[in-house]
Amino acid sequence: MPSLNPTQPTVPQLIPAGLLLQLSIDEVKPSSNNPRHLFDPDQLDELKKNIAEHGVLVPIVVYQAKGQSKFSILDGERRFRCVRDLVSEGRTGKNGEPLKLPANVVEPPTKIAGLLYMFNIHNYREGWELMPTALSLKIVMEDLGTEDNKALSKLTGLSDPQIERCKKLLRFPERFQELSLDPDPRTRVPSNFWIEALPVIDLALETSETIKAIGRDRATEKLVDKYRGKKIKSVIHFRRIMESYEINEDDPQTRARVLRRVEEFFLNPSLETRDGFDEFVMDKKRVLSALAACDEFLAELQRFRLTYTSNDEERNSLRIALRRVQTYCESLWNALEGKDDPEVPQDQP
Amino acid sequence: MKGIIHSLRAAIRYRDYKPMSLTWLAAKRWVMQFDKGDRRLAQRLLDKVIYISESRTREILVQQNAALMNRLVAAGLKPKQFIYVSVHDTGSSSHVMLNLLRDAAGLERMGCKFLDAHDSMRLIKTMNELGEGALIYVDDFLGTGNQFCGERDSVARVMVGAFSEFILAPSICEEAIYEIGKRGVEAFTGHVHSKVERPLHANSPLFVRTEKDRMELICKGINKGGPLGYKGLATMVVLYRNAPNTVPAVLRGSQNQTPFKGIFPRTTDLPVQKIT
Repeated sequence: MPSLNPTQPTVPQLIPAGLLLQLSIDEVKPSSNNPRHLFDPDQLDELKKNIAEHGVLVPIVVYQAKGQSKFSILDGERRFRCVRDLVSEGRTGKNGEPLKLPANVVEPPTKIAGLLYMFNIHNYREGWELMPTALSLKIVMEDLGTEDNKALSKLTGLSDPQIERCKKLLRFPERFQELSLDPDPRTRVPSNFWIEALPVIDLALETSETIKAIGRDRATEKLVDKYRGKKIKSVIHFRRIMESYEINEDDPQTRARVLRRVEEFFLNPSLETRDGFDEFVMDKKRVLSALAACDEFLAELQRFRLTYTSNDEERNSLRIALRRVQTYCESLWNALEGKDDPEVPQDQP
Repeated sequence: MKGIIHSLRAAIRYRDYKPMSLTWLAAKRWVMQFDKGDRRLAQRLLDKVIYISESRTREILVQQNAALMNRLVAAGLKPKQFIYVSVHDTGSSSHVMLNLLRDAAGLERMGCKFLDAHDSMRLIKTMNELGEGALIYVDDFLGTGNQFCGERDSVARVMVGAFSEFILAPSICEEAIYEIGKRGVEAFTGHVHSKVERPLHANSPLFVRTEKDRMELICKGINKGGPLGYKGLATMVVLYRNAPNTVPAVLRGSQNQTPFKGIFPRTTDLPVQKIT
């Protein structure tokens, strides 16, 4: 009868921090956070060619997690990938020796440092990872005792709108947050769902006694059920609801109809977003007028030839006015951001 | 006489196989399904099965876990920083293995944590809370390693902090060792199942070509889609709880065990009991 041969990896040698080592590919552990969205293939190819010619000139930064033989990468995932590819292609160093990676060994990151590192990775990512980012941001806020966007932005490298989006996600109870952590994209509720749904829930709770009576959580559940029942085909469609409400500010009768429709939208599981609200927002004139206004505004400014304005007072007034325009445009730009999660299957609109 | 002794030996060796009680008569019936000229070959194949009984499974898990714990404690970690992770769906082998290990090694009393790979929220919270530690995945058998790596990658997507990663399993195929190694996950196992140990694998010298071809032809007659098991791995490890889906079809038998009765049918190969 065949016998069993127990196998255990060798006990890792503890490498003190501060050393510069030449590591083989097998001694390095790729970044745990899946970096597949991180790298531009063209840039990676360029780097690979460079490394094939000159070797790795700037050491990568690694640490050894306690108990682990391999070194985890803190900085240098791209260089690691290039060398790994070159090794698998059978490339060697100039003297025929195996390709190695120069690596600076540092201490394992502390909890907060690890979180901040993760934020830096997430800055380049898209889609569903926003929820883990938000949960980690919560830890940073609790540990450092600050909720100030500027301070958090400085620490994490997240932009102000990203922090705002995370904060919106944190307003939802855990049981809803969990739905965005589902590893299966077919059943996962995208993080953007909560961000886009939040103003609609707030509006319904503010304006409908019936929705107020069923409460925030039940109202949220109804939207989740609707999304899963494909009656919200894109999370961006929530905007049609808010748009319907906003553009009818000066028309109390239509606005009242919108609010009745909002209530119906929550209570009637079969009412689809576009079926419910397209009639209030089908007018494309506003956007067309805005596009024309942008062109006109630019053309007018260019016509005034303001670049060489020399009067101090005039220059200051102009800069203040332009700053106002810039601030408004930035906030509008941020508000227009947002899209469906590319990993979550969507019905075509 | 030789046939009876062989069947008796099989019944003793594989007596605690859970999906189906294996008597000497069942072992004999299994051999008798083959043509007379193939019976010796079938017996030789059966002799190459690497069977891991319940007690051996427990023993391996406890031993390997002790070795891993010693290493982690020597590296400066405390048991409360060890997160044991079960993979795959609820009720899968991984969960059973983890329960077995937890009870046998008293992990709960040491303050270790137990989580499910699908429970991302608790994983994030626990990792955030600990900051550093070890993630120890527990499973029974890894074939290609693809399924495990898929689960591990979904955990990695939410990983925060400095965590080392290990897999603890009674047996792991060499193909899986390679796959998990690429991800930097280290294996603690009772047995690395090499291709050489699998008589029907192309790289194994245990059977000659004509014997392999003959047995593969019989397997094809039983399961055309996967005669040598999933991805043609032709593995020979059978655990007391279930045979992996990577074993050759002659060992598992036909779906619903008709017309060919396997000696190690998987639970899903057995006919469903009718509820009256």
